[in-house]
Amino acid sequence: MDAFLTALAAFSDPYLIAVILIGTIGGVLVGAMPGLSSTMATALLLPFTLTMDPIPAISLLSALYCAGTFGGSITAILVNAPGAPPAAATAFDGYPLAQNGKAGMALGMAAVSSVIGGIFSVVVLIVAAPLLSRVAYNFGPPEYFALSLFGLSMLATISGESALKNLIGGAFGVLLATIGMDFTTGVDRFTFGYWELSEGIHFIPVMIGLFAGCEFLTQASKLKEGRVRAIFDAVKLPGWADFKRCFGTICRSCGIGSFIGLLPAEGGTVAAMIGYNEAKRWAKDKSQFGKGDLRGIAGPEAANNAATGAAMVPTLALGIPGSATTAIILGALLAHGLRPGPHLFTETPTLLYAIFLSMLIANFAFAAFGFLGAKLFARVTLIPTEFLWPAVFVLASIGAYAMDQSIMDVWIMVLAGLFGFVLKRYGFSAAPIIMGLILGELVENSLKQSLIIFDHNWFHFLERPIVVTFLVLTLASMIWPLVTLFRTKRQERKAANAAQN
Amino acid sequence: MSSKPSVDRAAPAARFPRDMVIGFCTVVLCAVAYWITLSFADAPAAVAQNVQPATFPRLVISVIAVLAVALMVISFRKDSRPGKSVPAMVAMTASMMLAFVVAFEALGFILAMALFCFFMPVIWGERRWHAVIPFAVLFPGAIYMLFVLGLGVHFDTGILGF
Repeated sequence: MDAFLTALAAFSDPYLIAVILIGTIGGVLVGAMPGLSSTMATALLLPFTLTMDPIPAISLLSALYCAGTFGGSITAILVNAPGAPPAAATAFDGYPLAQNGKAGMALGMAAVSSVIGGIFSVVVLIVAAPLLSRVAYNFGPPEYFALSLFGLSMLATISGESALKNLIGGAFGVLLATIGMDFTTGVDRFTFGYWELSEGIHFIPVMIGLFAGCEFLTQASKLKEGRVRAIFDAVKLPGWADFKRCFGTICRSCGIGSFIGLLPAEGGTVAAMIGYNEAKRWAKDKSQFGKGDLRGIAGPEAANNAATGAAMVPTLALGIPGSATTAIILGALLAHGLRPGPHLFTETPTLLYAIFLSMLIANFAFAAFGFLGAKLFARVTLIPTEFLWPAVFVLASIGAYAMDQSIMDVWIMVLAGLFGFVLKRYGFSAAPIIMGLILGELVENSLKQSLIIFDHNWFHFLERPIVVTFLVLTLASMIWPLVTLFRTKRQERKAANAAQN
Repeated sequence: MSSKPSVDRAAPAARFPRDMVIGFCTVVLCAVAYWITLSFADAPAAVAQNVQPATFPRLVISVIAVLAVALMVISFRKDSRPGKSVPAMVAMTASMMLAFVVAFEALGFILAMALFCFFMPVIWGERRWHAVIPFAVLFPGAIYMLFVLGLGVHFDTGILGF
């Protein structure tokens, strides 16, 4: 209770409130801009937060994360260009509504369902994170090894071109984490004689490169594509009857989003897609879905925002990121010298309450901004690409440089961007590599400690129930995409046979 | 600078499934990475406690290789179409990214940033000089004010003394 009151007292400081509001406005803006996502924005901002105290720094990133998820819906509805992947499902019904002159109604429903989903997820975070952290007190190195393995295996189920490619990306990230001096033995690995690499590759320049550098090149490949202009009319907001009609969908999506968010590596995109599908599946009249049904906005928006707070649960309680953006927030915690995991709850409870409160404030703030400034925020799409992206690249370079004021980090950022572009072209995503890079140290250290505890007998892993549970879950999450693939193929074959007959 | 699609260079991917080529390249990279681990120094047994510095990287490399082989096997069951060729503008932009870092070191941050902010929009086809020139001057100026004067980020002095 003392910690909560201390955190609450911290919020009487106008500076902290201003930081959260700036984070919220920034989040809505970057979320609204196609190509710029809250993940990229948090990655870009992270080095600059290192000069701040931990509470404002993490509050800023958390506010940006919450608002960015909502911001994507603005351009999804107004210009059919989702600002961020989690808003892709919102465009299915949002854009037809905007075309029918009901943009205000669609934006209003997106704001309300987002804020309900977001607040629900913060409640889940407040309840679930301490409970999970209490369980995590019983974890030793073998449990952490199995848990991080489970986190990496969940990469197989996240969206992307191929489960195998996600897993390869995750493992590659773990391999990148081995660059530098081995802390047990003091032996250099993969440093090729560069002393700058002895401390290892910091994930921040890699992350900035994989998101911002790679997107810069992607934008270069799309210069010829036409620009879509926003529709600035129709400000009629949804009425009480509309909310009543969508209430069941919002409640269902809150549950779906929270569950998906709790799973390591899963995030808002998957939650939004499932939220949309379930909204359609439960609807009695499905005829308007895809043509402009408000439930088609309420479902994905409540789900992707419900996933935000829930994704913070494994991040804070276990140190295993729940999504790409929470991986960056996890990195921010580490960079501030904090230890995510159960100790965070005993050592720095004030910070945790501050995170909860800042997410709550951000949710209310983006709802207000969403209602009042949606049309203004949509104007960010009018910034010419020719100026926006060079500016983003320069900011990315400063972000990479500023952390250690080392030119090597700028090289790493640029090379990661080029490499990320090649990988993206061949169906690999950036998120698994980042997750692997962040979890790599935990995987290696916990495995080494476990092997020393078990006197190098691998079978001892199977004597610990929590380890066995995680290993079974790991196996299941790796097999699940294969089962899904097999079922899809079988259905396709059946459909083809039926068509032939 | 033309950004017309160049001649399709993805023809080999049509002959072999694309994922098979990716899987094969990954296996080759794994072999190279494994070969590099052979050069890691061995630590004394008392320090290493039976886990040598190369053990974990080799384990990860093996996992990647197994996954890459699985990708190759599965690729036989997939249709593979040649991918779209990369526009020349991407190569040009990538060169500019590298040139920016070289200029960062050689000319200093402010000058590198101003040159980049001038040439990049021009290369991307922007010809409104009344917008390009203020952007190339004001944006680096704003960055300097914010990061150097405001946040105290130190940049090495360039050839022009700033």
